[in-house]
Amino acid sequence: MQTIIRLKDVSKVYGEGNTEVKALSAVNLTIQSGEYCAIMGPSGSGKSTAMNIIGCLDRPTSGRYDLDGIDVSRLSDDDLAHIRNRKIGFVFQQFHLLPQLSAMENVMLPMVYASVPLEERSHRAEEALTRVGLGNRLNNRPNQLSGGQQQRVAIARAIVNRPVLLLADEPTGALDSKTTEEVMEIFAELNASGMTVVMVTHEADVASQSRRVVWFRDGQVLHDHLDPADLNQRAIAAS
Amino acid sequence: MVDLAESTKMAVKTLTANKLRSALTMLGIIIGNASVIAMVGIGQGAQRYAAEQFESLGPNTLFIIPGNDGGRRGGREVPRTLTYEDAQAIASQVPSIAAVAPQIQSQQAAVYGNRDTNATVMGATPDFSVVRSFPVEQGRFITDEDVQRRTRVVALGSDLANTLFGTTNPIGQQIRIRNISFEVIGVMEAKGAFLGTNQDDVAIIPITTMASQITGNVSLYGTEVTFISAMARDDQSINAAQFQISNLLRLRHRIVNTDDFTIQTQRDALTIVGNVTGALTIMLAAIAGISLFVGGIGIMNIMLVSVRERTQEIGLRKAIGASQSDILSQFIIEAVILAVIGGAVGTGIGVGGVSLVGAVTPLQAGVSPIAIVVAVGVSGSIGLFFGVVPAKQAAKLDPIVALRSA
Repeated sequence: MQTIIRLKDVSKVYGEGNTEVKALSAVNLTIQSGEYCAIMGPSGSGKSTAMNIIGCLDRPTSGRYDLDGIDVSRLSDDDLAHIRNRKIGFVFQQFHLLPQLSAMENVMLPMVYASVPLEERSHRAEEALTRVGLGNRLNNRPNQLSGGQQQRVAIARAIVNRPVLLLADEPTGALDSKTTEEVMEIFAELNASGMTVVMVTHEADVASQSRRVVWFRDGQVLHDHLDPADLNQRAIAAS
Repeated sequence: MVDLAESTKMAVKTLTANKLRSALTMLGIIIGNASVIAMVGIGQGAQRYAAEQFESLGPNTLFIIPGNDGGRRGGREVPRTLTYEDAQAIASQVPSIAAVAPQIQSQQAAVYGNRDTNATVMGATPDFSVVRSFPVEQGRFITDEDVQRRTRVVALGSDLANTLFGTTNPIGQQIRIRNISFEVIGVMEAKGAFLGTNQDDVAIIPITTMASQITGNVSLYGTEVTFISAMARDDQSINAAQFQISNLLRLRHRIVNTDDFTIQTQRDALTIVGNVTGALTIMLAAIAGISLFVGGIGIMNIMLVSVRERTQEIGLRKAIGASQSDILSQFIIEAVILAVIGGAVGTGIGVGGVSLVGAVTPLQAGVSPIAIVVAVGVSGSIGLFFGVVPAKQAAKLDPIVALRSA
């Protein structure tokens, strides 16, 4: 099985001297291709920092991070942008769709930065939107779609460049329970078809649908659990 | 790196999504560009107009004026030093001169029947018509015989003839100037205005008649004239003529130090006029340029606000793979598009304004194609220049911070 994420002794320090804050200290984490992993932890636990580093939005202060076999821990901003474009699909709590663009155009955006030819772009965008069940909403603007539909457009945008990693940051945080279920179903389907999914969440029932839970506390991995059966209990105990 | 066509498409999409703001941003550039185009066009029109006016005085013409520049600038009374005899001497002794027209000028009332009007009365010689390219349309002009015999005859400018006679044929009629009767012998062709002075409101009488019966003043040296116009043989002999006339007059006036006359060629006059109107054009263009600059600052202002407002969009674009240069070029292109479209619209308005001025005034205002290219180019550069600061700010945003900003 191929390793997608390998964090080795990764630390992240903000500030200097007296104001120094250690957000992550010597974190080791390995995630294999095809895994469905939830990252949990209370606020200030370092899970957001870990998420930013895994998503190549930030660099570790020390340690090494290999994404899909590439050491990305010392790359420049523009190289990281390139890696994000080709290797990672992001899904955010607030969807972050551009309001002036249609669903199709939003989904095509990552391919614009990947210099995919125009014809292939619209073909692939349509395919991705159909895959998340929005084949009949191609030309709607975000404000003409429900929250669940908007998040599905965002998922289509995340997968359209065929990334090796789907990284979701509280993807259901802005959704009601019914649409949460819809969206989670899509994540499950994508994972079933081989997509590696890493999801930061604070909702235990959302995390319980994953197949592995990594629990952060005080900048370190507290639990790394492959069987989420007793997760709810742990979550209650921890909070 | 996203290619230019793609970035342009994105920029257009963003700009059209915010039509009102885009239009308001362009307004500064539109006004700036329109005023640059209009000011330069009108300024050049004024320059051309003034040049034509001086050319209409007659080709290869020299003007000999009593006094010198220094004296006149000091506000002293102009010394009455030029005489009819000077003019005759120039005509007979200066080889590079084809014709000489001395002139005595005075404002007098002209009366016909119960109509009267104030007119410029000119005492002139037959050569006046030649030197000043001012032909007779009807009847005849003053002849040498008229000058010798001091006859009381008059040739009227077209406007004066019209004022006094209306539809009546003026030839052979008598008019009164300073209560002296003159027989109308001719009517001049219409010549138009010279720098705002009507040249057709004149009564031309023999110079000798003028001196003896209207103005009556004889200077120490002879019959005093207002000024002398002379026509050089061709445009190559203008400088020679100026030199020769100058020498002759110095001899005749026994001048050792300062000349008591000034010779101006039409070319001198054109140069002076060109300098004045040129300076005026530059000043107008500079004022208009300032408004163009202010328009550029307007673009920068709005773009800075736009960067702040679109922080999340920028964060998202960076998260999904936009490089710093992608963001930079996107914002710069937006600024340049605003500036170029604003520049084009402003140019259109400016050209419209210039043609309007050309239609309602005698100025032949026109805009050269080069001016248009330069104006649009300059406003494009202004967009580029003032787009850089906001675009850099956008490009440098940290995607993590940008995405979190609410």
